[in-house]
Amino acid sequence: MKREISDRTILDEFTEDFCKIVEDHCKYIICSGFVAIAHGRTRGTEDIDMITEKLNSERFQKLHQDLINTGFICIQSNDPEGIYQDYLIKGDSIRYVRNEEGFFPPEMELKFVKDELDEEQLIERVKLPLTHLDIYFASIESNIAFKEEYLKSEKDLEDARHLRIIYEEEIDENKIKEIKEKIKGMRL
Amino acid sequence: MRDKTHNEQIERWAIYVKENPNEWKKKVKPFIDSQFIKSREFYKRLLKTKGGEDKLRRIRNLN
Repeated sequence: MKREISDRTILDEFTEDFCKIVEDHCKYIICSGFVAIAHGRTRGTEDIDMITEKLNSERFQKLHQDLINTGFICIQSNDPEGIYQDYLIKGDSIRYVRNEEGFFPPEMELKFVKDELDEEQLIERVKLPLTHLDIYFASIESNIAFKEEYLKSEKDLEDARHLRIIYEEEIDENKIKEIKEKIKGMRL
Repeated sequence: MRDKTHNEQIERWAIYVKENPNEWKKKVKPFIDSQFIKSREFYKRLLKTKGGEDKLRRIRNLN
């Protein structure tokens, strides 16, 4: 993977720094908008979506403390047990930013896996050399399926089109269909 | 709904990214970074104004 530090954007640095900490504690994937942006889509975003395996309270508190020690802060609260009980365990996401006055973006939106679809995304996670980033993403097929079948906004459909063009020789259309069927059955 | 030329531009740019794997990021870096640099500059100015902290908290959905 050819890699030049000067190529890294603010979003890249934030995401790689965050993922490096999370990787020491659990499996994760980055999905949704940042996947398209990491492949060159020139559009804005303030948050990056991360799904992690489900952690018990003790493991989450260790992860949270590591994130705090490396300069991140959780917008929702400083109390890890409260964050765990009030948000994560209920299926809601929490948000981390760099620890500076104003809680400026970008922010990492972190949530636990919630169903079989998320579990499969974690199992099939991939690194994507074209992004020049050393992090795990949900598969391209999964990202396209969610954008075309579940999210469906103009922005998401454009993201999916962009990814389809870039990976047109490699995309497994049967896999996309299979994921779309699961989305229909489990999320819609 | 965006028009035909918008879709054409998406396709043109996606092909450029695909065919220039070591070049495209240099071109998007200033664009991506500028969004955050300008946003932070603005929020810092907002924080210094009367009621700015409260406005920032509402804009950013902070507790």
